[in-house]
Order: sequence, then structure tokens, then C-alpha cells
Amino acid sequence: MNSVFNDPGFWHRLQFGFTIVYHYLFPQLTMGLAWFLVYWKWRALRTGDEKYNQAVRFWAKIFGLNFAVGVVTGIPMEFQFGTNWSDFSKYAGGVIGQTLAMEGMFAFFLESAFVGALIWGEKRLGPRGHFAAAIAVALGSWISGYFILVTNAFMQHPVGYQIEANGSLGISSFSAYLLNPWAFVQFAHNQLAAVVTGSFVVAAIGAFYALRGLHPVQARLYLRAGTLVGLIASLLVAFPTGDQQAKMVGNHQPITLSAMEGKFEGGKMASVALIGQPNVEAQRLDNPIEVPGALSFLAYGHFGSFVHGLNDFPKDQWPDNLELLYYSFHIMITLGTLFIVLMGLATLLNWRGKLESSRLLLWILMLAFPFPYIANTLGWMTAELGRQPWLIYGLFHTRDGYSKVVSNGDAIFTLIGFTGLYFVIGLLFLGLTGREIAKGPEERTTVVGDPREAVLV
Amino acid sequence: MIATWYAVVSFMLIIYVVLDGRNFGAGMLHWFVAKTPEERRQVIAAIGPLWSWHEVWLVGFGGTLVAIFPRLMASAFAGYYLALFLILWCLILRGVAIEVGGHINDRLWQTYWDFIFVFSNFLLAILFGAAAGNVTRGVPLDAQGNFSMAFFTDFGVRGHVGLLDWYTLSIAIFAAVMLAAHGATYLTLKTEGPVHGRSERLAKYLWIGCVPLLLLILVESRIVRPDLPGRAWTNPFWWLGLVVIVASTITLISGLTTRRELRAFVGSNFLIFGLLITGAAAIFPVMLQSTLAPENSLTAYAVASSESTLRVAMLWWPIGLALAVFYFVWISRRYAGKISLQRDTQGFY
Repeated sequence: MNSVFNDPGFWHRLQFGFTIVYHYLFPQLTMGLAWFLVYWKWRALRTGDEKYNQAVRFWAKIFGLNFAVGVVTGIPMEFQFGTNWSDFSKYAGGVIGQTLAMEGMFAFFLESAFVGALIWGEKRLGPRGHFAAAIAVALGSWISGYFILVTNAFMQHPVGYQIEANGSLGISSFSAYLLNPWAFVQFAHNQLAAVVTGSFVVAAIGAFYALRGLHPVQARLYLRAGTLVGLIASLLVAFPTGDQQAKMVGNHQPITLSAMEGKFEGGKMASVALIGQPNVEAQRLDNPIEVPGALSFLAYGHFGSFVHGLNDFPKDQWPDNLELLYYSFHIMITLGTLFIVLMGLATLLNWRGKLESSRLLLWILMLAFPFPYIANTLGWMTAELGRQPWLIYGLFHTRDGYSKVVSNGDAIFTLIGFTGLYFVIGLLFLGLTGREIAKGPEERTTVVGDPREAVLV
Repeated sequence: MIATWYAVVSFMLIIYVVLDGRNFGAGMLHWFVAKTPEERRQVIAAIGPLWSWHEVWLVGFGGTLVAIFPRLMASAFAGYYLALFLILWCLILRGVAIEVGGHINDRLWQTYWDFIFVFSNFLLAILFGAAAGNVTRGVPLDAQGNFSMAFFTDFGVRGHVGLLDWYTLSIAIFAAVMLAAHGATYLTLKTEGPVHGRSERLAKYLWIGCVPLLLLILVESRIVRPDLPGRAWTNPFWWLGLVVIVASTITLISGLTTRRELRAFVGSNFLIFGLLITGAAAIFPVMLQSTLAPENSLTAYAVASSESTLRVAMLWWPIGLALAVFYFVWISRRYAGKISLQRDTQGFY
């Protein structure tokens, strides 16, 4: 046990893992919510119905809080490539730095230039300008997601690179790098998962207002949009995107697939374990309930396809935390399935006009919103733990990537610092978001004092 | 190609300092120019909707640095480990203070966040100044191009130096005063009422205060890096920077004395721009000087990515810049005008 804590690599991984998981709680909501804002703004333009504008005004405030925390927690992510992972940056900076810089210039510039206009500029910009600002912010957030996923896809499945004379990586084909097939699949899967988070949050607040008997028109709007979009996105997350993602892993990281499934022995007609506990010491899955042949079919298209077991590979190539990887993947799948059931049921009741009278389902919808956050996090843990022991799959080991000049104490110190700071930010965020929800969607923006503003209203 | 990229990367950092510098400055002066809660909200509103747009230039710079000069990024960021995290945490606190302060209309709450706001901006100005001093003075780079550094050692500028010494501290003080002057000039342009009056007065004093400090650090730089002047005079960009400094100083002085606020602010922006250009040109091609042995120093040529990688980056960078210019023009038009005391006219808060 002691050896882990004396290993600086452990602390660097823990800090990066903690800060990225925390950071991603915020962008996943803004990426999902952004298109709700665009849609409502568009409806407002088309129908002239004030309820849509009211919804945009309310959700733009929630969006703004998330955006701000996303910005301040995002900057440390980029800097940690240099501070904590300097040997990785030295090796691969010429490649991954391209997309990190492009994210800044093509996504953040766009997003941050227009987000103020989206949140506070409704009157100044007029309806069309405000609609355009919503589109700009939504585009910015999704472009940003794409560049980050290209960066990650390179670490999962490196393409378009060459090894330079000094041993570091450079770009050989920019288009191959940007159009990495892994990035496409992962982007689709990840963005839809962000939409799931967005729709669960929208539905949860709709359910809260409905249970409270507050803002009935708005509550109905949120419930309808949240559950319908939630159902569609939950379905698409599982199929085809999740399915494609698993096939991608099966083709390019067969060891990872075996580990995700807790499969020690390879063979044809490989089964999917619905439940079971991986026992690494005995190299078997304890107490499994399995569906025979399902893994062969899902990963490679035929029940008879051969699926490798972990024992087919040398042990030093196994992901180093098998249990965590296995449970992350399985809990994600389970949650994803439950999302489809819940949102399917809600959409059905809504269609029959009974959703707002079904208090039990409203309660469930209200309390369900943390689970997409958990599922998103677990999905990323599956991707990143599954990539181990590699930092860039097949090219560069994680243990070679961290900053050798940074002492263990420094890394622990900053990790503790982040923990404290992020705890406080979390409290502030929840408190202020809670206040906005309690205040609720206002009838119209109140104007205090300034006569010039009053004329505009 | 590498020299061009050195110019591009320096340009992005300089733009960041010029853009966010006004926020550091306005932040530091927050308590001195704004006395009542309404006045304090006015100052925040002057920064409000744009601070994240300014801050993302730092992200753009960081990403470009990774792509173009990966070995410099690796060496410098790991070496400055704790100092960089202090900067990051201050940036986080600053952003949080701006965002959450206005959410609750309570005097105690706002006073608390105002304190965090002033404190973090002051520390940021000092830390960025000290960082600039460290780049000029150099760091204890070993033969592998690595270093790790204490916050301070014996406050000397040779050998095993620390982050802070007499030289980097004086640069930090100069940076804080200059950015405060920059912020005051910005607040003069953006506000009306009592905040405007106080900012206008402060701007003059602070800019006057910059003059002896600048002369001091020029003399000090000559002592710390006697090799720099000879190198600077052969670099056309250094002369360009000098021309910008002279022109912008005239613009600034004429703006301040004739109360043409926009002119003064433009001068202030370009003055900082020019000063940083001369600095960046003077140290080229060395990006990080070694205080242990000159041959350990990292030059732009030694730390750059391969030729093909640099060419790839030249494909997208100009497009990104063109878009940034477009946003800049849009923002400048949309957020033009003064912020009143009763309620800002931009719909902020």
C-alpha cells in the first residue's frame, strides 16, 4: 500500500483525475442546456409566445453560473499538462497542443465573447440578436467538446503522427489527426450524454415546480421538453453511439474490452456479465449472471466471434485498476438502461396527459438528476482507466508522463489545495443555483432606476 | 518559421496581459475608487461581462505554447510548479468573486467578495510581474533543461535563485503600479460620477509613479543581464517596440491632459503592448535563461516542435486570429459607453 503513496505518478494522476472530473460536471450541463436555449429562443421567435422567452431568461442564469465555474475550473486543466505532465507534453505537445490551442481560439473565444450577451443582452440585442448569441454559445461549447475529444482520441487511438528526429511526436497528417474515427464515435456518444444530463436537469426542475404547484406553465414546458429530449438522447447514447464506442474499444483496445467485462478466459460465444464481481487474484468473475454469446455479438457482430480474455495478454499490459474499471463500466451501462426506462415512462405518461398528476413519477424525476452526472463520470473513468497503463495507447506509458522535477509533497499540497477550493466553489454554486431555482422564472426582467432602460422595455 | 512563432506566441501572451491587465488594475483599485456598495457594483459591471473573454486569451496562449514550444512549456511549467498554482488559484478566486458577489444583495456578502476580488487581483499583478522578472533574469536550468525553484533563496540574482529576489520583486512592483494605472485609465473611460473622478486623479499619479520605477528596472536589467542591450539593438522588433512606446506615451499624455478618455486608454494599451514587445525582442532567441551556466539556456530553436508541426499550426492560427479580431470589434461596439451609477446600461446585474 505504502508504495502507491510514495509514487509521485499516483498523486499526479489523482490530481488530474479529480480536477477533470470536477471540471466536467459543469460543461456537461452547459453543452446539453445550450440547445434547449436555442430551441426555446427559436420557438419564441416563431410563435411570439412570452413563455419561451421567460424560459430562456431563467435557464440562461443557470447556464451562466455553470459557465463561470466551467471557465475557472477549466484553466487549471490546460496548465496541468505542463505543471504535472511535463514529460508527456515534451513528448506529445506538438500533436495534442494543436487541438488544445484550437479549442481556445475557435471555441472559447466564440463562447466567452457571446455568453455575456446571451445572459444579459436580451433587450440590447433584440430577439434575433439574442437568438444568434444563443447559437454562438451553443456552437462554441460543442466545438470545444470536439477539440478536447480529438485530443483524447489521440491518446486512445493515435493516428496522423510521426516520430521526429529528437524522439518526440509531430503531426504527419493533420486531417487524419482531426478526423480520427475514434473522435467521431466518442464525440457523438459524449455529446448525447451531455444532452441527457441537460434534459434530466430541465425535467427535474420542471418536476420540482409541478410538485410545488409553482409556475405551472413553465413547469409543463420543462417537463415536456426534458422528458422527450431525455428519452431520445438516452436511446441514442446506448444505440448506436455506445454500441459503436464498445466496438471501437474491441477493435483497437481488446485488452480494455476484456477488462471492462471482467473476462479472464477468452473464447467464442463470449458472454456479457450482467452482474458479478471480478476477482483478480483468482482470475475469475465471482457470482456472475451472464448472457451467453452476447459479448461476441455486441463487440464483433457474430455470436461465434472470438473474444480475447485477459489471460491472452501479458499482465503488464492489463489496465492497472481492473475492479474500478469493471464497476465503472457496468454501473454506467445499468444507469443508462434505467434512464431509458424512466424517460420512456415519463414520455408515455406525458403523451397521455397524466405526467403532472403522477406525483410518484414527478418525485423520481426530481431526484434523478444527479445520476446522469454519475453516468457521465463513470463513462469517462471507463475510457481513461481502460487506456492504462498507457498515456498514449501503445506508444507512451503513463508512468513516463508525469513531471519528474515536481516533488511528491508539492503534488500533494496542490491536490489538497484544489480539494479545499473546489469544495468551497461547490457550496457556492449549489447555494446560488438553489436561490435562482427558488426565485424561479420571473414574469419579466425587473428594471431598477435607469430611465434609459425603462424606455426600452 | 521559429522566429515567426516566437512572435506569435509572445503576441498572444501580450494581448492577454493588455486585456486582462485592465481587470487586474481595476480590481486592485476597487476599494480606492469605489466607496459605496453602488459604486463597487459599478466597477464590477465595468469588468463584468467580459472578464472571461479576456481570460481565455491565457488559455489560447497556453495551448499554443504546448503545440509550438512543448519543451519550454514542460520545463517552465513544472519548474514554476507552486507559483503557477498560486496564479491559477488567484484566477479562480477572482472569477468566483466577480460572479457570486452580485448574486446576493447583502452588504456583508458583497464586502467579503470585494475583499477576495481586490486581494486576488493584487496577487495576480505581483505574480505575473515576478514571472516576467524570472524570465528575464533566468532560472537555475540544469544541463537537461530542467529546474525546480524555491519561492526565495538568498534574494540574489545569480546561481541558485528563487522566484523572488530584489530584481523580480522590483519588476513585480512596477507591474502592479503600471497595471493599476492601466486599470484607472480604463475606469476613467468606462464610468461616470464619483468613481470617474477618483479614477481620473489616480491614473495621473500612477502613471507618473511608473516613470521612476521603469528607469529603476531598466538600470537593474542592465546589471542582471548585461548581454541584453547588445542583442536588442540588432532586433528590428525591439525598435518597433520602441516606436510603439514613444507614440503611445504621447497619446497617453495628451489623452490624460486634455481629458480625452478613449485616447488615453488606447495609449495605455499600446504602451503596455510596446513595453512587452521590447522585452520579448530583447531576450530572443533565449526563451529561458539559465543562471547556472549559459549553455543550459533554452532557445526558441531548441524547444520548438518540428518544422512540419509548425507548418500545420500555421494553417489554423491565422483563421483563429481573424475570428478573434471579428469578436473583438463586435464586443467593442456592443459594450461601448459608460456605466452609470444607478444601474449599468449594459444589462449587467
